[in-house]
Amino acid sequence: MKNELILDKNNLSYWLRQIRKNRELIGPLMNDGNDIVFKSVDRIHELVLDCPASLPSPKEFIFPQYEPMLRMRQASNVKRQEITDLSDETKRVIFGVRSCDISALGLLDKFYLEGHKDPYYAERRRNTLFISIVCNDPAPTCFCIGLGTGPYLEKGFDIQITDLGDRYFVQIGSPEGAKTVKAMSFLFRRPQKTDYEDQYEVFLSSKARFHKRINLKGIRQMILEEKVKDDFWQWVAGRCFECGGCVYDCPLCTCFTVTDREYPYGIERIRLWDACMFKGFTRMAGGVLPNEAMVKRTKRWYYHKLIHYPEKLGGFGCVGCGRCTITCPGKIDMASIATKLKGLAISEEEK
Amino acid sequence: MNKILTVCPYCGCGCGLYLHVENGKIVGVSPSRSHPVNRGSLCVKGWNAYEFVAHPDRLKYPMIRHNGELKRSTWNEALTLVAARLDEIKRKHGPDSIGILSSAKCTNEENYLMMKFARAVLGTNNIDHCARLCHSSTVGGLATAFGSGAMTNSISEITDAKVLFVIGSNTTEQHPIIGMHMLEAVDRGATLIVADPRRTKIAEFAHIHLRQKSGTDVALLMGIMNSIVNEGLVDTDFVRRRTENFDTFEEVLRRYSPDVVEGITGVKANDIRRVARIYAMEKRSMLFYAMGITQHITGVDNVRACANLVMLTGHIGLPMSGLNPLRGQNNVQGACDMGGLPNVYSGYQTVTDPRARKKFEMAWRRKLPERPGLTLMDMMEKAYDGSLKAMYIMGENPLISDPDLNHVKEALERLEFLVVQDIFPNETSEYADVILPASSYAEKDGTFTNTERRVQLLRKAIEPIGESKPDWEIICELSNSMGYEMNYRGTYEIMEEIALLTPSYGGILHHRLQEGFGLQWPCHDINHSGTPYLHRKKFARGLGTFITVDFVPPDEPPDSEYPFMLTTGRIYFRYHTATMCRRTAVLEREEPESFVEINPDDAERLGIKNRSMVKVSSRRGEIELKAYVTNRTPEGIVFIPFHFREAAANILTNPATDPAAKIPEYKVCAVRIESLAKPKKVRRIPSVDLEALRIT
Repeated sequence: MKNELILDKNNLSYWLRQIRKNRELIGPLMNDGNDIVFKSVDRIHELVLDCPASLPSPKEFIFPQYEPMLRMRQASNVKRQEITDLSDETKRVIFGVRSCDISALGLLDKFYLEGHKDPYYAERRRNTLFISIVCNDPAPTCFCIGLGTGPYLEKGFDIQITDLGDRYFVQIGSPEGAKTVKAMSFLFRRPQKTDYEDQYEVFLSSKARFHKRINLKGIRQMILEEKVKDDFWQWVAGRCFECGGCVYDCPLCTCFTVTDREYPYGIERIRLWDACMFKGFTRMAGGVLPNEAMVKRTKRWYYHKLIHYPEKLGGFGCVGCGRCTITCPGKIDMASIATKLKGLAISEEEK
Repeated sequence: MNKILTVCPYCGCGCGLYLHVENGKIVGVSPSRSHPVNRGSLCVKGWNAYEFVAHPDRLKYPMIRHNGELKRSTWNEALTLVAARLDEIKRKHGPDSIGILSSAKCTNEENYLMMKFARAVLGTNNIDHCARLCHSSTVGGLATAFGSGAMTNSISEITDAKVLFVIGSNTTEQHPIIGMHMLEAVDRGATLIVADPRRTKIAEFAHIHLRQKSGTDVALLMGIMNSIVNEGLVDTDFVRRRTENFDTFEEVLRRYSPDVVEGITGVKANDIRRVARIYAMEKRSMLFYAMGITQHITGVDNVRACANLVMLTGHIGLPMSGLNPLRGQNNVQGACDMGGLPNVYSGYQTVTDPRARKKFEMAWRRKLPERPGLTLMDMMEKAYDGSLKAMYIMGENPLISDPDLNHVKEALERLEFLVVQDIFPNETSEYADVILPASSYAEKDGTFTNTERRVQLLRKAIEPIGESKPDWEIICELSNSMGYEMNYRGTYEIMEEIALLTPSYGGILHHRLQEGFGLQWPCHDINHSGTPYLHRKKFARGLGTFITVDFVPPDEPPDSEYPFMLTTGRIYFRYHTATMCRRTAVLEREEPESFVEINPDDAERLGIKNRSMVKVSSRRGEIELKAYVTNRTPEGIVFIPFHFREAAANILTNPATDPAAKIPEYKVCAVRIESLAKPKKVRRIPSVDLEALRIT
């Protein structure tokens, strides 16, 4: 079976219904007419596929905000602690995620699975299948186009679908994805020449619709050449509200903290989202705070995303999803900072 | 995974957030993108508002004190005991020997029921809540000036304003999302004026920062108004058509020339004139204030001065132009609206008004007390001298939040009977005779009213933890066992009753709040779409009144024995008495211990080093905590956050109150600071007998 297929729009809900028999189906739904959020899908026909970036990113399903890790219990007659593993084994399919989030997964995998392997992440990652959809109409906050992380992907996805009006162009990118399609092969047909033409047209029109063109390579170069002055970082730090929203919402941020909770039935160890934006994140023994100055923390976030990530994991720590632009109360998100720095660079040159 | 839209349980911004629920447990939070207040943002407390819900410390079953120890009991036992004891005390000492504290953390429905319970079941007007400690001066001051005490504009209007005058509010830290809107307004070209003795974060963005001495706000505002009058910037048309009593006020105003005011406040006369011009000459000017204005013995006068300023310039009754008190708690606006106050029923209908009383008597079918009841501060005083016998405290922790804690502690000890209803054990519940476990915001339905008067639906996400019950169910059951039938199928039925009896909530019903993001009161009937800004064309009371105010110095100025001025407040990572945030891993870690902010010059003079221990004492007590040497606080003033039980700032604070509003003066009291640092000892490593350590 070829890796490119056509699915009639009428068949989508049937296909998803079959997938849902083995997995929890999660997708974008309208909540009380207010917001579009990713949650368990009850009625498949209510899926909203022309949605903007969801808050927070789909990383919440493989690296959740609150994750019980293990339970320790000491029975009165035994000397040893009895430890139960609490890692989540639910099989999920996340439908309707965007290319940027899929690109982010690639880097998250490198972080969590290469070298030291994180068992909790690994377990969830193994059990989760992503069906991503190409963005026909990117939101004003999006800038994946400059980073090559969207609006469509060449590889890295499980299943990628493109909306061609009355049908979907389906691409298979992983064995797990292939299995899901193969089980329902009678729903799909081979693409014809017109399908390829339509798909190409969607790609072209989508690319033309981006509001933002941001070149992070240029910004990285500016930082490396030390063209960004300290007072700029001071200005950034002054506007930070320390909400942690950029880190919580980012599909690529990996900060977490671990804490123990003593319940009557035993002690539970949980992992929670944390953020490097907080001074206590790096508190050392004796209460020393090496990053007490706000400027050190905001600057580190940018250095981490723009300098260290490319060196360590081979790609920017940003996929251009624009979530920090939506969530940042101080408007010091990646896109705003990049635009600001570009402006500064131009005015420098003119001097 | 399901996601349920609800309202943040922390501050008065009322941000919309989603609770993520998986297998009956809350596993996360995310902001609502289209909510008009937070627009996809949250502050750190909002982002972590899910974690404390299932904390092992939660009160899971009722407890009764037996021989000095709290023991687990059943609901039936506990409620029967409470009913019997309250009944007995009521019969023996009269209904006014019982005091009730309602809660700004609970829903409107629960506050309404608590008010009904106090008035109809117990027969006393002794009901109050923590608004007494934060905005009672606003409720009183603005009610007389305008006829309604609430934010006159909406939060979403802020971004379009041209001038923002923020006085006595640390907005970016205490109302972060309102701070976000202010910052956006500044980015769009608005002028920001901040008046605060401390160099707070919002002051960093200010174009003009006035650092008046603590407790001189009346003088400062009078100085500004004096310049406005002198420079002919008064909106005479507005003053003539829409207000009264200006002439008498002007008489007093003449005395406050900017030069005189400079002598009182320490703010340069020229800066006062600049602010007057900037504020008066722009039409889209919004005035914001918070605890820095209200928590003084002149709290009501401060509020009146603010009201006079907006009337003088005509900056009210329009979008992006008004007077905006920023309310602190998620539902403190609602708790006041619901009549959780000793002198009013819901919708600020006074208990002394026979018509209003008649209406409630008919609806509740009980004779209601006529005289206004005791305020929170009076209750503590009466408990101390023994004439108040019992208290029922719902969702409040006076043993951290009230001034002069040593005194409050004794007052609570002297009570014959104390009931505490809360979600976590706290400092107050240690003195309780009965503890009733309540459900948190994630486990019940209801409505919260945020600071911009937006009534929003709180949605149940999970089942109550342990045996806990929603507060409204507890009140209903208690009332039933005291022989007054209170039966509701759900909170929507309570809301119907509220709408029936409360004109400003007349059209607010649960099914109307289901879609969209709530309604802003006044909303008089079912077809009314809410009111984004107040006092359009006409003040709520008809004409606005200029009330004459005069500068009165703080109750306890610094002297040679206690040379420093202490001002208290909150910090960003903590919330009030910290019952919720200290059970949240990230928030607890950020600010684990209390500190006193002190100016570097003062610190040097006293030989205090950054992070060293100091002792701060006042006439009422002393605490030991770390010094934080910083320029944020001016010379002569020290700042202590009041969240920490280990070093509770309220042991020091002065219980002197405003005569009208009975709000205590948290912002000024005299203290002394001493360094506790001992000369450094060199620690020697004891010599080790290596032979003995060798494993054989």
